[in-house]
Amino acid sequence: MKIIETRELKKTYTLGKVEVNALNGVNALVEEGEFVAIMGPSGSGKSTFLNMVGMLDVPTSGEIYLNGTEITKMEEHARVEYRLRNIGFVFQFFNLFMELTAIENVMFPMMLSGHPFYKERAEELLESVGLKSRINHLPSELSGGEQQRVTIARALANQPKLLLTDEPTANLDTKATHEIMELFRRLNEEKHQTIIMVTHNPELGAKTDRIIHFRDGKVVK
Amino acid sequence: MKLSELKAALFYARRDIVKNKKVFIFITAAIIFATANIIIVNGFMDGIANDLVSNSIETSIGHLNIYPGEDDRFIEGVGFKEKKLSSMDEVVAFSSRLYASGTLSFRDKATAVNIIALDATNEKRVTNLLEKLDRGNTLEANDRDILISFRLAEDMGADAGDDVQVVFENGASQTYRIKGITHTGSYELDVNTVFMAKAEANSRLGFDDKASIILVKLTDKDIAGEKKQVMMDELGVFKVKTWWEEVEHIVKSAGAWSEFSNIVSAVGLVASAISVGVVIHINVVHKRRQIGIMKAIGASNSFIFTVFIFEAGLFGIIGVVGGDLLGYYGTRYFETHPFWEPITRTWFRARFYPYLLYNASIVSFGITILAGIYPAIKARRINIIKAIWG
Repeated sequence: MKIIETRELKKTYTLGKVEVNALNGVNALVEEGEFVAIMGPSGSGKSTFLNMVGMLDVPTSGEIYLNGTEITKMEEHARVEYRLRNIGFVFQFFNLFMELTAIENVMFPMMLSGHPFYKERAEELLESVGLKSRINHLPSELSGGEQQRVTIARALANQPKLLLTDEPTANLDTKATHEIMELFRRLNEEKHQTIIMVTHNPELGAKTDRIIHFRDGKVVK
Repeated sequence: MKLSELKAALFYARRDIVKNKKVFIFITAAIIFATANIIIVNGFMDGIANDLVSNSIETSIGHLNIYPGEDDRFIEGVGFKEKKLSSMDEVVAFSSRLYASGTLSFRDKATAVNIIALDATNEKRVTNLLEKLDRGNTLEANDRDILISFRLAEDMGADAGDDVQVVFENGASQTYRIKGITHTGSYELDVNTVFMAKAEANSRLGFDDKASIILVKLTDKDIAGEKKQVMMDELGVFKVKTWWEEVEHIVKSAGAWSEFSNIVSAVGLVASAISVGVVIHINVVHKRRQIGIMKAIGASNSFIFTVFIFEAGLFGIIGVVGGDLLGYYGTRYFETHPFWEPITRTWFRARFYPYLLYNASIVSFGITILAGIYPAIKARRINIIKAIWG
C-alpha cells in the first residue's frame, strides 16, 4: 500500500528578485513499511521534499497523497493535527526540549494529542531505545547518541505512520551512528515502521531498502 | 484549543520558567514588591484619609452642621433653634459655636488668633474636641480660663498656667489664664486658636443669641442626608451641611494623592512587567529552533502562543500571591506601627481593606499578562522551516 505519492510536485522560492526551483516536478512513491533513503548533492531538493511530505511547508503546485489523503489543500489546523498523529520527525541536532527530562520530552507529543497513558508509554518507548536508566536525565546530561535515541522515542510517541529523518547521524560518532541505524532497522523490521531518511552518506543509504536520488529538484533514480 | 493542549502548555510553561532559577527569583521578586507596593501605599492613603475624616468628625463637625445664610455672619435666634433641636427625636446633642478673631499677647509677643467660643457641656456631647489636650486641663462650663492650640503655645512660648492678654475684634481686652494646650490633629484647629466659654466671649463681644455654627449629633450619622432638609424646614435655615459634605474635600484630596501614588506604583509595576516581557522575549529568541521543532511535532500556533502567555501568567500568579501576602502583612504592620508626621504632629497609619488586595492583584496580573503578549505573538509567528533549518 502506498503511504506517500507525489505528483508533479513543485516548490519555488523567491530569493530577492531570483526565483529558485527547489523542487521541479517530483513524482515519487513510497510503500508502507519501506525504509527509504533520499540522497543527492546539496541543493538538490532532498530537505524541501521532506518538508513537503512532512507537511511543514506547502508546495507551489502538484499533489501529495499521504496514506491516500491529498494533503496540500488542508487547512492549517488540520495539517497540524495530521502531523501530530501521523508523522514523526528526527532532525539533525538540538532536537530536544532542553528544559524537559528525557521522559518528559517523549511524553510531550502524547500530552498534546491527549494520550491517556502518556507516562507509561513514554517509559516503554525509552526502554525500547535502551534508555530506561536515563529517563529522568536532562538532555544536557545525555550524549549525542542518547539524545538522538530520545528524539526517536519522541518521534514514535503517537505511533506515526511515517518517520521522517533528516541527517539523523550527522553529528554522531561511528558507534552512535551504528546504534541509531540499528534502531531504525529494528523499528522497520519489527514494527514495519515506514522510514524516510535524508542522508549524504552512501554507507547509510546502503543500509536502507531503497534509495531515491535527487538532482536539481528532480528524482533522477 | 483542546484541554490536552492546555495541559501540555501549562506543563511546558511551568518547566520553562524555572529552568533558570536566578532569573525566576529576580522576576517574581520584582512583581512581588511591585504588587506589595501598590497595596501598602494605597493602604497608607486610605489610612490617612480615614484618620483625617474620623478626626474631623470627632473634633470639628457634627453629623449635620448649620451655618448662617449666605449674606449673614451669624445664625440669629440660636436659643429658639436649640429648643427646636431639643424636641427632635433623631437629635442626640448639639453645640453652638461662635467664631471670632482677636489678638493674643504674652510677654513681648503678640499674634492674631481665631477665637472659638463654645459651651463646654454641649460640645462634649457632640465632639471630643475638648479632650484633645497636650497638657493642662480642659474647659468646663462657664470657665473663665482659656485653652490655646499647641502651635500657638509654641510660637508664643506660653504654657498652661500662664496669663495672656486677649484683645477681641471689637477692641475689648481681657487677661486670661491658660488652662490647657490643645492638640486636635486638625491643622485648622491646631494653628492659632483660642478656645473659651461662649458666655465669656458673648460678654466681651457684646453678642447675644448668636452662633457661627451649630453642630448637631444624630442618632445615626447615616441618616444625615435624609434629615438635612427636615432640619432646614424645621429651623428655618438655608445652609446645612452633612458630615459627608464637610469632609468631601479631605476625601477628594486623599483621592488625588492616591492617584499620584498609584501612578508612582504603576511605574514600578510596569518596570517589573517589562522585565517579564523581556525575559519571555529572550526566551522566544533563544528558542527559535525548539519552537520550530515543537510546531513540527504537532504543536499549533495557538498552543505556542498559549505556552508563553502561561509563562507570563505563572510569573503573574506567583508574583501576585507573594505580593498580596507581603502587602497584607506590610499594611497590617503599618497599622500597628504608624509613622510620626512632624508637620501635622499626627500619626500616619496604614489601614487594610480587602479591596486593596483585589485591585492590586487584578492590575498586577493584568499587566504581567499584557507583557507576555508581544513575545507570545512573536513565538506563534515563527516559521517552522526557517526555525529548524535557519
